[in-house]
Formats: sequence, C-alpha cells, structure tokens
Amino acid sequence: MTTNGGLALATHGLTKRYGRQVALAGLDISVPRGTVYGFLGPNGAGKTTTMRLLTGLLRPDSGSIELLGEPYVRSDRRRLFRIGSLIETPSFYPHLSARDNLLVIAATGRSVLSSRVDEMLDLVGLRERARDRVSGYSMGMKQRLGIAVALLNDPELLLLDEPANGLDPAGIVALRDTLRTLAASGKTVFISSHILPEVEQLADIVGIIALGRIVSEGPLSKLLESQAIVRVRVRPDEVDRAIPVLTALAGPERVKIEDPAAAWLRVSMATERAAETNRALAAAGVYASGLTSGSDLESLFLELTATQPPETPTPTTAAVPDVRGGAA
Amino acid sequence: MTLVLAGVRKLRTRTATLVGLLIAVVLLAIEFIAVGATYRSSTTLADQKATYDWMLTFPSAYDAVMSLVIGFGGLIALIYVAAVSGTEWSWGTLRVAVARGESRSRYVLATFASVAIVLLIGVLAMFAAGVLAAIAGAALAGLPLNGLTDGPALSQTALKLARSGVAIVGLGAVGYAAAMVARSQMAGIGAVIGFYIGSAFAPFFLPDAIKEIFKYLPFSAAGDAIGVQGPPGVATTTGKVLDPGVALAVTLVWLVGSLAFAALATERAEITN
Repeated sequence: MTTNGGLALATHGLTKRYGRQVALAGLDISVPRGTVYGFLGPNGAGKTTTMRLLTGLLRPDSGSIELLGEPYVRSDRRRLFRIGSLIETPSFYPHLSARDNLLVIAATGRSVLSSRVDEMLDLVGLRERARDRVSGYSMGMKQRLGIAVALLNDPELLLLDEPANGLDPAGIVALRDTLRTLAASGKTVFISSHILPEVEQLADIVGIIALGRIVSEGPLSKLLESQAIVRVRVRPDEVDRAIPVLTALAGPERVKIEDPAAAWLRVSMATERAAETNRALAAAGVYASGLTSGSDLESLFLELTATQPPETPTPTTAAVPDVRGGAA
Repeated sequence: MTLVLAGVRKLRTRTATLVGLLIAVVLLAIEFIAVGATYRSSTTLADQKATYDWMLTFPSAYDAVMSLVIGFGGLIALIYVAAVSGTEWSWGTLRVAVARGESRSRYVLATFASVAIVLLIGVLAMFAAGVLAAIAGAALAGLPLNGLTDGPALSQTALKLARSGVAIVGLGAVGYAAAMVARSQMAGIGAVIGFYIGSAFAPFFLPDAIKEIFKYLPFSAAGDAIGVQGPPGVATTTGKVLDPGVALAVTLVWLVGSLAFAALATERAEITN
C-alpha cells in the first residue's frame, strides 16, 4: 500500500460485522491534515465502530486504515501515542478526583508530565473542581474531562465521538474555540456527530455515513452549494403564474411546490440569485410575500440518509447510491 | 513501574479496598475473641479443647492466624480482585488505556501487580490484627503468652507469612483472570464465589478418585502452601493435603497461568464497551 503524507486519516473499504449484523460495509474516508472533519450519520450508521477501529479497540474484517500518513494495523499501538481520542461516553474511576484520574490515565501510553495534567484541567475549566471526586460530576463536566484526556498527549490527530454531548452552551462555545485553535495550529480534528449545527459551525470537510458507507464526502462549502435553495412565497392563486417564471430561471427539475397550502415554492439555485428571482417575479406581476435563501446541512443530511433502506444491508445487497461529491 | 504506581493510586482510596480489609480483619478478630471468651465454658470435648488451645496458645496461634488469613482473606481477595478487574471493563477505563496506545498485556499485568501490592499489605494487616486478637483471646481465656516471642517459631512464622502472601496473590490472580475474561465485575465475582463454593463442597459428593483433583485447585493448594500444621483432629475437606513445597509450586502455576490467560484473553478481545 502506498502512504499518503497529505492525509491525517484514511480508510479504504473498511468493513466490520458484529455476528450477522454489518456495521461498516466498505467505508472510504479521506481526512486531510490540518482540517476539521465532520463525520455525520444517524444513530447506528457506524460512527462509533469506525472510531473503535481507528483506535485499535476492534479489528476490521477487511479493508485498511492509514493513520498520520502510514498504514495502521492494531499491533502498531505506538501510532496511537500521536492521537487523542474520546470515544462514546467519557470513562473514569468514579472514586478518584479529576486530577488523579488524569494522572492515572497519563501513566498509560506515552507518559505525560504532571504539569501537562494541570494545563489540561485549566484548558477545560475544571481547575477549581480538580480535587473533587468524578462521581459527583455532571455529565458536562465529565465530557470536559474526557476532552482533557483526549488532549493530554498534545495529539496530531484528535478523534472525538459526539464531543458536545452534555455540554452547556458556554461549554460548546469553549469546545468550538479550542478545536478551531487546534486546527489552526496544524492539528487534525475528526468529529463524529449527529448534531448538525455543531458540525456546520466547525467542519471544513464533511463525510456523511449511512448504513456503514460514506454517501457523501467533500468540503462543506461545496456540499452546501449543491444544496443551495431559494424559497419564495406567493399568493395561492398566483402559484401557476410563478412556476413558469422560476422554471425559466432555474430549470424545470429545480422548482418544487414545497407547501401547497401556504404557497411556498422551492427553487434549487445559488443563494446569490434570490434578488434576481424576486425581480423576475415582479416583472411578471407576481409579488412575493416571502423570500428566503440559504443552504443547510440538515437538508443534505436528511436527503442522503433518507434514501437508505431500513433493513440491515449486506455487502452484496446494500442499495446505497454512490452520490459522493454530487449530492442533491 | 509508573503504571504499577498509577494502579496503586487507583486502589488506595477505593471503597472496596477499605471495606474488604475491614471485613477480613473484623472476621479474624471476632473468631479469636469469641474462642477466648467461650474457652472456659465450652471446651468439654477433647478435640475441641485441642483446637482452642492451638488457636490461643503461642507459638501455634501464629499458625492459626495464618490459617484464617487464608480462609477469610482468600475468599475476600478473590472477590476484591474480581471487582477490580471487572470494573476495568465496565467503567471503560481499559478502553481509554488501549486507545492511548497502551499495551494490553502490559496494562493487565501492571494492574495486577498493583493489586498484588495491595493484597500483600492486606495480608500483613490481617496477620497483625489476628495476632493482636489471639493475644486478646488468650487473655480472655486466661492462657499464658510465653510462646509469643519464641525465636525459632518467629523465624518459621516469617517464612509462613511470606508463603501466605504468595498464596493470597495466587488466589487473587484466579479472581483477576475470571473477571477479565468475563469482562464484568458482577460476572467475575459470581464466577469466583461459584468456584469457591464448588471446590469447598463438591468433594463431599464425589468419588475418592475425583477428590484427588481437588487438592490441586486454588483454594486447597493455597491453604496447603503455607505449611501450617492444622489443629489436631480436624481433617481437610478432601481428606488429602499437598506437601507445602508442592502446594506452593501448584499455587505459583495457578498464579502464572491465570495471569497469562488474562493477558492473552485481553490481547485478543474486541473492546466494544
């Protein structure tokens, strides 16, 4: 296998089964160095399984993984010294304080100075409560401590599974700032989540997984562009006159009646063309009573993941359309 | 070494550590004090009197203390160690260590080394508490303490105490492996209690040829490894005992075998919790 120095993380045809259930059915992802990659998918899509495979907790049935530009197998555990991770719920010794937990965890893998432990407690805002038992912590505090664990080794690649779980709004903002700072310093952040606004605000690149396969991957701006929408509201009796005008602007397949009762029309077109749309309608004597433009990850996510059949797929029968890079 | 010290840090403030030790010490103390308190009134049978004298008269009381350290301490050690190793799975802390690039085998062995340190401290504490309780029992019974500082007996006692340490650690290793393989605190504890009860009572119902096997099981071997001469007239469960040297070797085989099994099982495990 060739190595790829430009990628922090890549998987090729990664598969994993739990008994007869297929968790990953040939996962291909590419995460360039120094980016924030949002790994999106509905519950049960295979996000956590992917995280476990990347950190050597599980063995893949087939396929390969590249970590930090080199092929990775489970026995190559020292590669993980350069990776920080938070997988599923944060795990600690409940009878120990946050500081003692970090000291105990710091003794595993590549050893870490105790000064780094205090630095991380400061970073996640737990310095004041560092000597309290973790059993008394709220879910958000445990989550922050889990992020501190992930950052202990000053990792080049950070793997975070639902990092905003349980965080209050201030915690989410602080997490976002921390991750942005890390990415700006050249580190790579891989976030798995099903909370779309969180990813939308952070990610440079998004991969959408459904039923164990990537159904779309690419720069967030490109993906959103493909999902750009202008919505126009007209009087119900003017819908028939508005449709030809909009069709002339965008093309016949790109105009849909979104809400017949309220007479909202949806036009798939660049958001910059909203004003032009308004002018064209006015020129035809149709005056819009509402006009919005935008593109959102949620629509893209729902569209891509809704096309999946509900049954558990097998590698030979999975009906997953290949819409990579060309969604909507 | 850093990992072992970190392991001790995990255990020293753990409720199970303190409660386990407290239960063992209290049971031991109650045994001696109860025997001392009832010595004059209940020693009507010759065998019973010989047993009570063995327990409350030094230097044989040292043997009695060690016998009970294994008896009470062994089961408590098994349960404690099963709890410690089981929670590495159920709390997800093993997962965190592995995801940080820690060697699974090294982690399993270092964690057990820290558990062994705690067990050895527990054996010393139980022995000290047992001797104090035996002194108190002897005082209640009105028996003399003139064998307490018997030089040759004390040097033998030191050797037997070291053997007790190995025996308890060997038993602990069995509990450790059971819970590591079961991947659960409760499953591990259930397995070791079942094993303890099974090995204690099964010989009563089994043919002699099969009974022979039971003296090689962890509890029997650990008890025999100390080299304590039991009270006169009291037979072992199996009716057979191993030579102390052989029993110590068998205990070491259980110790090493259990740890190797735990390390191998963890190396191969898929960590899904």
